[in-house]
Amino acid sequence: MSHAKMFDLARPSRQHLLGYILLAPAVLLVGFIIVYPLAIAVDLSFQDVRIPRMGRRGEFTLDNYERLFASSEFWMACWVTIKLVAVVTIGSLIVGMSTALLVNNRFRGRTLARLGMALPWAVPEVIAVVIFAWIFDSSFGLMSWLFVVTGITDTMIPWVSSPSAAFWAVAVTMVWKGFPFVSIMVLAGLQSIPADYYNAAKVDGASAAQRFRWITLPLLMPVLGVTLVLVILWVFRDFSIIKVLTEGGPLRTTQTLSIMTYDQAFGFHNFGYASAVGVLTLVISVVASMFMLGRGTKAIY
Amino acid sequence: MTGLIGKGLGTLAVAALLSASALTPAMAQTTLKFISWQVDDAGNGDWWASVIEEFEKQHEGVTIEFTKVERGAYADTMTTLFAGGQPPQIVHLASFEFQSFADTGWLENLDPWIERDNIDLEGWAGQSVCQWNGETVCIMLSYFGYIMAYNKAILEDEGIAVPTTYDEFLAAARATTKDLNGDGIPDQFGTGHETRGGAGQYLTEMLSYIIDAGAYWTDKEGNVTIDTPEMVEGLSRWKTVIKEGLTPIDMSAGDVRKLFADGKIALKLDGPWLYGTMQEGEAAADTVVAAPPFTVPLGGSSNVLTMPSEIPDEEKELVWEFIKLTMSPEFQRTYATVAGNTPPSPTADVTGVEEAVPHFPILVETMQAASAGGIDRIPVGLELNYNEFSKMIQEETQRMIIEDLDPAEVVKTMQANAEALAN
Amino acid sequence: MTRTFNQSLMLYLGVIATLALILFPIYWLFITAISTSAELSALPPSFWPADAQWEIFARVWEARPIPTWLMNSMIAALGSVALSMVVSVFAGYALSRYQLRGGHALGLFILTAKMLPATLLVIPLFAVFRNLGLIGSMWTLVIAHSTLIVPFATWMLKGYFDTIPRELEQAAMVDGCSPMGAMVRVVLPIATPGLAATALYAFVLSWADYAYARTFLVNAQDNWTANLGITTMKGEYVTDWNEISAAAVFVAVPVIIIYLFLERYLVGGLTAGAEK
Repeated sequence: MSHAKMFDLARPSRQHLLGYILLAPAVLLVGFIIVYPLAIAVDLSFQDVRIPRMGRRGEFTLDNYERLFASSEFWMACWVTIKLVAVVTIGSLIVGMSTALLVNNRFRGRTLARLGMALPWAVPEVIAVVIFAWIFDSSFGLMSWLFVVTGITDTMIPWVSSPSAAFWAVAVTMVWKGFPFVSIMVLAGLQSIPADYYNAAKVDGASAAQRFRWITLPLLMPVLGVTLVLVILWVFRDFSIIKVLTEGGPLRTTQTLSIMTYDQAFGFHNFGYASAVGVLTLVISVVASMFMLGRGTKAIY
Repeated sequence: MTGLIGKGLGTLAVAALLSASALTPAMAQTTLKFISWQVDDAGNGDWWASVIEEFEKQHEGVTIEFTKVERGAYADTMTTLFAGGQPPQIVHLASFEFQSFADTGWLENLDPWIERDNIDLEGWAGQSVCQWNGETVCIMLSYFGYIMAYNKAILEDEGIAVPTTYDEFLAAARATTKDLNGDGIPDQFGTGHETRGGAGQYLTEMLSYIIDAGAYWTDKEGNVTIDTPEMVEGLSRWKTVIKEGLTPIDMSAGDVRKLFADGKIALKLDGPWLYGTMQEGEAAADTVVAAPPFTVPLGGSSNVLTMPSEIPDEEKELVWEFIKLTMSPEFQRTYATVAGNTPPSPTADVTGVEEAVPHFPILVETMQAASAGGIDRIPVGLELNYNEFSKMIQEETQRMIIEDLDPAEVVKTMQANAEALAN
Repeated sequence: MTRTFNQSLMLYLGVIATLALILFPIYWLFITAISTSAELSALPPSFWPADAQWEIFARVWEARPIPTWLMNSMIAALGSVALSMVVSVFAGYALSRYQLRGGHALGLFILTAKMLPATLLVIPLFAVFRNLGLIGSMWTLVIAHSTLIVPFATWMLKGYFDTIPRELEQAAMVDGCSPMGAMVRVVLPIATPGLAATALYAFVLSWADYAYARTFLVNAQDNWTANLGITTMKGEYVTDWNEISAAAVFVAVPVIIIYLFLERYLVGGLTAGAEK
């Protein structure tokens, strides 16, 4: 079978064409899922719409955004989201890095340990939430009982109806689910650091802490950058963990932007308003990720 | 070279498969889609199954696909289906969620159908709730009155009689909340309320105390009536029950019912559906149904049946036949005998139901008392904003409990917020 | 490396303690499944139930269409793995080998798939799939899951391909092979660890989905995936936590098994990508 000369993709001048063709499916797939709904969401956010009817349009209005910026609920949701992102990211980072460093040592049973460390990643979120909802049950859950038995508190902790406790219950669950990803990525990063660097440093008399600070950490930065962005995006977007554990309460102390979007859309049937929240969430996450990746958006691709 | 061809063929194959699955073969059978949360509930689920069986027998070539969506995911699933243009043909909704759909014009106006078949809905319990903008948009499936179930073993242990007023109820609850195994944590509770989950249910839990205190969210004309001394009393009662730990906290309704059925709670206020759970619990021998100790019991509409306005006429005919079947005397009767509910039809034959459901007279009694008192869970004037309203009330109530606020102040906040919503 | 006895002891203790803490919730799931409801509503919680109800697994297996649910999850997962791998391999290879104008932008664009809140995606996607007549079909999941997988998988594969010297393809093309042929016949076989890692990632992500299944498969009970099936076990009036936990164990097992088999490729597949 012969091709017309035009499609001889081996020719150097045509090489780029092949590159674009290969990239096309990914772009199309993502575009299909993103561009259309995004367009609809942006469109809806400028209309006074309660329930959207596909194919109908209301008139253009800025009311949703005005209401949004004036609403204390929105700012509280922003604050809660930032808090949660910070806590979960730092928590996942610490636990993820520690476990990776731990497992990076050579010892018997290391493969088994490595398997176990990141197992929570494989457990579906729905199931993880079932487990933790039960552990954090206020009347019969393990966590409350532990707190009482070890004397930290006198009575059972109302994990869902106490503002501070609810936040921590959500944060702990998210860290459990989120740190394995960091662990795996850091482990991969660690293994790509040549042992010679460490050997040379040890010869120079560097302590473990110094080796970590001056060799490990800098060389992990690129990996950490990408990892953190993905973790942050996950916390921004995540919905089922909070919804099932606390529904965003009590008193909105665990209501992130994504929960607020859902409540407004499907709870109160204020789709125009919800779309505005959603669009702003998107803008914030784009800004946040670009900031995290810093000068090097090249660091991604 | 061959790689490219292979790729091209591959793409063609995928496209062919996609279009093949998109084509539906010409169907000799009609399938009606029916979604509900009650699919495998004891009692209700069986009743639906029997209606479907009879319908399919009467209509050859028609099958009903009965699918479950759990209650927690129900509202947004239905919203998505309707907004996406693919609603089920048989529409089953809770009585507080159909209003937005009606308002958007998605529900069929049933008046022409009712007139065509000369159906008399006079006295049909709760049917007035199904009026929206002058049209009948649904048929009321279930209007109920609350009951109080008690664990006679627990009460006898404390030597307490079955309470008949709120004060007796409170005293009994206080006496029966205790720590049985000495570890400092209560394992038996006087009563049980859901305090986790949806705002709608949260309000329902509060309403028993509030209605007995003589208060309600709005009056018949839709004016907000929260800032009243009676409401202050109602809120104080709720605050007392929660703060004194007379109920387990942060539990969902299902978990509380289970606790009661397993003998860990003394008194439980609930709808008639509690009976099914009671019978399967470990303390089934000790739990008894009685009338609630309140002057006017809580009651209200539960769920409705209707059809979408945008389906083809042949399907509408069939769905209407289905709806009429549920309204027929035979199935109104089995609604009581099989599902243990009070059928809304005024002419339903409920003789002898007590043999299958011993506390049936109590159910009828409370239902009639609630109906006479014009009680419903959905306040007039706030139907469209019910979800937002109930969320606001739930929040302010939680704030009252967490920050230990004075109910007299809280009602003022609630009043202001509710009025803003109603307008 | 030589360690003192104390250091070794600390290390082993540290590892065991950490593992115990991390894996405890999974253990707890199992315990909850075999407990009776009475034990579940009593304190102190039992770390091993006095009357372990082993028969609950058989009971739940028969009472619910768990085999069907698992099959469906498997179909969706394998389909997603296939589609997303093809797409990501192409994209990762393209980004690795070609200096494309706008390559960065396109890369970022692919990442935005992870930024839009699911709430806003649901209704438009439902409408799109409905217009394609796909509602209720497993294709919706295959496509939707792939969009979640592709961003990270592309990044991972690009990194992996970057470590494979171009000389190999160039040698093949000198021998008369087309660029595509070089990719398929020369590069891919060497990239097996990277491919295995991508496959594992894709499988786990697909198996974990609940939101899309719940939206697109509502009317198609025969196609329910496992996560969706479990949530329908919540009754309106009562939920049996031990039964749901038992079902959850069934759902977690397959993905954990696949994870155990392929995990070693994951770190390897990422290590290459991590070298920048």
